[in-house]
Amino acid sequence: MSSLTYNHFFILSLIVFIIGCFGLFLNRRNMILILMCIEIILLAANINFVSASVFLNDINGQIFSIFILTIAAAEAAIGLAILVVYFRNKGEIDVTKINQLRD
Amino acid sequence: MFLLGTFYFFASFLIFTCISVIFSKNPVNSVLFLVLAFLNSTFLFILIGAEFVGIILAIVYIGAVAILFLFVVMMLDIQITTLMFNIKRYIPLALLFAGVILAEIIYLTVFKSSKSNLSEIVRSSNNTEEIGNVLYTKYFIDFQLSGVVLLLAMIGAIVLTHVYRPSIKRQNIDKQNTTYSKDRIKLVDPKSGEGLNYNE
Repeated sequence: MSSLTYNHFFILSLIVFIIGCFGLFLNRRNMILILMCIEIILLAANINFVSASVFLNDINGQIFSIFILTIAAAEAAIGLAILVVYFRNKGEIDVTKINQLRD
Repeated sequence: MFLLGTFYFFASFLIFTCISVIFSKNPVNSVLFLVLAFLNSTFLFILIGAEFVGIILAIVYIGAVAILFLFVVMMLDIQITTLMFNIKRYIPLALLFAGVILAEIIYLTVFKSSKSNLSEIVRSSNNTEEIGNVLYTKYFIDFQLSGVVLLLAMIGAIVLTHVYRPSIKRQNIDKQNTTYSKDRIKLVDPKSGEGLNYNE
């Protein structure tokens, strides 16, 4: 392979996706890291969308990546708000100790 | 060749930063590595000619989301020593997951690889104008709906984190609007050397 092809970006986005999922699987202590892993997974989806859009010469992929960006920002805001409220109630953010919905 | 070398540089740097996000002991380091990962993907997007999305990624993710993470990490005051991995217990699940994904990669890249028009970068003259022409016409309703989603997220975050404290003194707007100035203010003309009697 001498030139840049879509397969490069496809495999890169898969690797980034797997790293994000590994973070979700392996990390059981820190809730902030779970939110960061979700951001990494959405970044992998963005890389796939944008590179496919460029290599197919179809602008719709980049527009969908903008929508993904919007949803990721909203999700981060809501998730961090829930995290702050949980920390205020419990005094810790250990994921293994979240076993009830009420106070 | 220059494109390929630059791609490999930024891609390997991106993978390294993503791994560092997961394996950092300190959450502040994780957030800063996340910023670096977003910056690398911005460079990758600009490399293949998607400048607008790349710059938007830098502005939105690095400027807003990562800084929000940084504020929350600094606010929460987590003990670094308690953040450990429980690798031995979850490594079989992770290996199973990795096996499934690896099988999917091999299946997709070896057996289903398309040799059609996926090999050339088609550079447009003006990426931003192209996006604007489609985003404000074909996806106009979706664009507005994403704004509604952001508004809902903002309201939800404020409602969740807002704490009502009755001890704080606030203005009562209704009470202010229903009074007249002559009930509250009295004009007096004090003579020189006598001062005022406040009880009147």
